[in-house]
Amino acid sequence: MAEIFIDNKRYEFEGQTKVLQFILDQGLELPFFCYHPSLSIPANCRQCYVEAGQPVLNRETGEYELDDNGERVIRFFPKLMTACSLDATDGMVIKTHVTSELVRRGQKDILEFILINHPLDCPICDQAGECPLQIQTYKYGPEGSRFEHKKVHKPKRIQLGPRVVLDAERCINCTRCVRFTEEISKSNQLTISQRGDHNYPITAPGTEFDDPYSINTVDICPVGALTSTDFRFKARVWEMSSTPSIDITNAKGCAVDIWTRDNLVMRITPRYNPHVNDYWMPDAGREAYKIYNENRISRPEMVVNKDSIKTSWNNALLTISEKLTGAETGKTLVFASAYASVEDNYAIQQFFARFANTTVIYVPDIKPGTGDDFLITDDQAPNSSGCKLLGINEVDADQAKGMIDSGTYETLVILQEDLVGRGIASTESLTQYFSVYLGTNNNSTSRSASVTIPITTAAEHFGSYVNVDGRIQRTLPAKETLYTDRRLDLQMSMGRLDHYGTRFDNWVSDNNKIDCIPAWEFLVRLSHEMNLEFRYNEAREIIDEIALKNSSFAGISYERMDRELGIALQDQPSKELNPA
Amino acid sequence: MQNFEFTKEELAKIDAIIARYPNPQPAVMPVLWMAQEKYGHVEPDVQKLVARTLNLPEAHVHGVATFYTQYYKERKGKYVLDVCTSFSCQACGGYETLHYLEDKLGIKAGETTPDGMFSIQSVECLGACGYAPMMQITNDVYVNHLTPEKLDKVIDDLKKDQLPEFESIPLVQNRTTAMENE
Amino acid sequence: MSLTDWKAYKPVLIPNIKDYHKIDVYEKHGGYGALKKILADQDTLTPQHVTETVKNAGLRGRGGAGFNTGLKWSFMPKPDGGPRYIAANGDESEPGTFKDRVIFEFNPHTFIEGSIIAAYAMSITTVYVYIRGEYRSWIRMMEKAVSDAYERGYLGQNILKSGFSVDMVLHSGAGAYICGEESSLMESLEGKRGYPRVKPPFPAQKGLWGRPTTINNIESLANVPLIFNNGADWYKGTGAATHPGPLLYGISGHVNRPGVYEYPTGMLVTDLINEVAMGVRGGKRVKALIPGGSSTPPLRGDALDGVRMDSDSLRQAGSMLGTAGMCILDEDTDMVDYLWRVSHFYHHESCGQCTPCREGTGWLEKTLLKIKAGDGTMRDLDLLLDLCTQMEGRTICALADAAAWPVRYTITRFRDEFEARVKNTVYALS
Ligand SMILES: Cc1cc2nc3c(=O)[nH]c(=O)nc-3n(C[C@H](O)[C@H](O)[C@H](O)COP(=O)(O)O)c2cc1C
Ligand code: SF4
Ligand code: SF4
Ligand code: FES
Ligand code: FES
Repeated sequence: MAEIFIDNKRYEFEGQTKVLQFILDQGLELPFFCYHPSLSIPANCRQCYVEAGQPVLNRETGEYELDDNGERVIRFFPKLMTACSLDATDGMVIKTHVTSELVRRGQKDILEFILINHPLDCPICDQAGECPLQIQTYKYGPEGSRFEHKKVHKPKRIQLGPRVVLDAERCINCTRCVRFTEEISKSNQLTISQRGDHNYPITAPGTEFDDPYSINTVDICPVGALTSTDFRFKARVWEMSSTPSIDITNAKGCAVDIWTRDNLVMRITPRYNPHVNDYWMPDAGREAYKIYNENRISRPEMVVNKDSIKTSWNNALLTISEKLTGAETGKTLVFASAYASVEDNYAIQQFFARFANTTVIYVPDIKPGTGDDFLITDDQAPNSSGCKLLGINEVDADQAKGMIDSGTYETLVILQEDLVGRGIASTESLTQYFSVYLGTNNNSTSRSASVTIPITTAAEHFGSYVNVDGRIQRTLPAKETLYTDRRLDLQMSMGRLDHYGTRFDNWVSDNNKIDCIPAWEFLVRLSHEMNLEFRYNEAREIIDEIALKNSSFAGISYERMDRELGIALQDQPSKELNPA
Repeated sequence: MQNFEFTKEELAKIDAIIARYPNPQPAVMPVLWMAQEKYGHVEPDVQKLVARTLNLPEAHVHGVATFYTQYYKERKGKYVLDVCTSFSCQACGGYETLHYLEDKLGIKAGETTPDGMFSIQSVECLGACGYAPMMQITNDVYVNHLTPEKLDKVIDDLKKDQLPEFESIPLVQNRTTAMENE
Repeated sequence: MSLTDWKAYKPVLIPNIKDYHKIDVYEKHGGYGALKKILADQDTLTPQHVTETVKNAGLRGRGGAGFNTGLKWSFMPKPDGGPRYIAANGDESEPGTFKDRVIFEFNPHTFIEGSIIAAYAMSITTVYVYIRGEYRSWIRMMEKAVSDAYERGYLGQNILKSGFSVDMVLHSGAGAYICGEESSLMESLEGKRGYPRVKPPFPAQKGLWGRPTTINNIESLANVPLIFNNGADWYKGTGAATHPGPLLYGISGHVNRPGVYEYPTGMLVTDLINEVAMGVRGGKRVKALIPGGSSTPPLRGDALDGVRMDSDSLRQAGSMLGTAGMCILDEDTDMVDYLWRVSHFYHHESCGQCTPCREGTGWLEKTLLKIKAGDGTMRDLDLLLDLCTQMEGRTICALADAAAWPVRYTITRFRDEFEARVKNTVYALS
């Protein structure tokens, strides 16, 4: 095993690694801007300076040369080295700002240079609070500036594309955004233009930065030069709480963080998961915040005399219970859903298993040709693989339509699936049935159902989803519902505002809590009503039961999913789900 | 709107250029040169033409075009007078030459005369330091040892579309001793 | 030849022969003889042998850094059957430098012959000749010379039926000084913005298109045939012992007879100024000498005695040989103005890739402009020196150093002039 000494401490390493990456892997700190572990290394910001030396080997013996004190003789490189581009070698000695005055000076010098042409607009900059330049200037920068000249002016507020805005004066020319479009999304839509201190990133004249992954450049821009058109000026970073979750807008299941303020989702950003999405996510996935916030079903609804009215949970439960008890065996068609979690699908599958001959099906939502070979899949739903592994019958849209139109069934129970919106059922055909819709958002199906039960979104519950590659990952509640409380549920995140905000603050209210419960919980309550044996207290119990009962899910648990960033399930779902 | 297009002959020439390199990308500079020769500039539409022709991302071509100062990203006068003011020329009257031209043509460096005939630019060392003050005309011929009289004549000639002749300047030693083989 | 009889020196790199640039004339005077000799006797004159000969002759690069050319060739890895390249550096953009164009114009074939010999020594498949875009007239001359060399079978497939093949391609720059830096030159050749590359990997490992590449200056390659025609010993014995050979001196500035001269290396700068260039105009005194292009630190006119034009002597004197493009500034020169103009150049030419150079070059220029305008303070002088420290050795390529050196040494060596120009307060009260 090779060894390396960082600030007089010995570490071991194997194989090839750059010094900066190694330092970061040890949980140590070294300031940097341009380096990104998934991009090429231009070493252009020069912020990651270290002093580096190598032991001197005796030519004849091949042993380390020792000095009078018996210490290894170290030959230091004459210049400060950029750790990001420096290969670690056996016996290397590194001095960072912790032990080197020269490095401290070097870091300060670079920050002074970067800041001479950087505007002083942190108070109005979206990046403030999560800005590497701001943070590193505080920690390693000079006290003031000796620059007494006019700053270079560059274009501001340039709409690079539909989703990204550029302020070129803030840009520090790290080229991360350009490298992203060249190396990751491969759209090649950005370049650095001009030369010298007039440099800035831009698209070709007359073209748009409409790369389906464009907002990732906002994430990796180390300053506020690139901001999201949508999120711009909406919230300050320190007002939000962030919660790990996954992208539910397609079958890739990119790991994400959901950022909330007062129980509204303000933005969604990618979370590192080397097995799924690395550091990236499609722009479309970030739009999911609208699903979580807007047009939500809150409180159960019932059709009474052709009018849909809000009703109590008790009334809704009673109505459904009566109908199901009275329904003829074999006449209930249950739609499970690739849009719902493994837990909810399992619950609905198990719940209806006790009614003989009830048919439980799901209809995958695949739009061929919409995906790419990166993070966008043809499959529009996050959990087709989960449904498949649970053994739920898969039918295609035409078959499902045939079943609805066949007249075989009397009752429909629909989990989340917008049957009308997807063209599987029509409003008229639904009105032939007693239909229960367990859904998150108002849509033409919810409006046609006899009873509508509001359920939680991925932003409000613990739920697992199996992605297109057979990896199961889970979500945590980011938003409170009317029945959850982040002060009591220790698994929920608490941002600064959540901690210290009071009702009298601008951003704290109860207004954004939805009156909804997880689908499985509704089924538990329904079983109470119907006197059935069907008891779960929390989602964890369901997943543990699945792990015991279904060999495809053997050995899984929430803890493992968290620790291992999801688990690759043994039985790979068939590849036909992902024709690409 | 002007239609920017390479002719069949030009495309054949471009193919020959591409063949000199392992892949088409290196042809971007020679082809930008060709386009500039043809249109007098490489404005965005011309950059697009180059990108299209070489099947390169437009942004890439834009990045290249804006990096190099000899590509005209906007239209210039028919004759671009690049006066060297770098330090050797500065020492020998580069700025005086520039200002003489500015006064004579009534424009400042970086500007173009209203009739579109002349642009003046103050440029960096052109590799003629021993023959200062000097200038280059539209990326082509060098005019050395400039004096007001010489400048007057050059401008008069240019107005008649007569470009100065190339001045061959041998080693000083070889200028002063008789040539062998003569 | 000893350095005292320089007056009897006859140019060999640019010989005084009419129409020598024409291939017929070149051949008539023994041109391409060195190449023929080597290719005819490949068993003795192996590539290794050729490389060793160049190394032992002591030829040092004429592009600025003065690295032993043969030694550089020996860094190329063993051929693996894939393409390998020479990038011949004719970017010639360092202010004060105007000598490679003389080779293009008056002796292109010695350069072409030297390149082919170098290609043979390193098993090169293609020589790319990068010539600055402003040299359009000289590119045309080179086009003619290269096509003549192809026609005579010196370039292309199976050269002179020797089994050795190499191509030569001319590539025009388009106005960017930085493209003279070897890794920027390669990026530019690859059709990109001329951003210098991070080293390592070095060009011999990963150069053009990721393949082994050697970058040599035009004049360096043009020297190669001389070594084989006249022998390594002759070469070693010409000029300065540690930096031998004929050298093109480009003399500019306030002298009576500026221009390009060919003399052995190691000439006394006083001889060059007073005798070769026939002294300073108007009989004035020399205030400063910039010995080898604008990046080399200026020497004071009163400290030139005994200084010779080779890297050792100039290092001792506190400067560098650089490109041997000498600029003489007379006693009336405003050193503040001069330094501002030099800083303006580096500010204008910084590629802008890395922080200290992108920001530092602009800051240097702006500060010098302020001093020039009479608004500077003593503090600005210290600031300038500080900025140099913050730039030197801290960047991807040496442009930042090239920008800092003149500032550092002009201010330290001509401090009185700068102090006279700044406000007479240590700290401006504001
Ligand atoms: C900023 C910068 C500009 C340079 N410009 C030139 C140039 O115009 N011509 C040149 O031959 N070398 C130039 N060089 C030096 C080259 O990088 C390289 O060392 C040289 O071409 C190698 O050739 P040689 O060993 O034959 O001298 C420059 C270096 C730097 C750092
Ligand atoms: S916009 Fe941001 S990511 Fe792009 S180069 Fe500038 S600082 Fe870097
Ligand atoms: S030192 Fe200057 S020219 Fe060289 S890479 Fe850095 S910014 Fe570019
Ligand atoms: S992180 Fe930018 S130079 Fe190393
Ligand atoms: S300084 Fe003007 S040509 Fe060199």
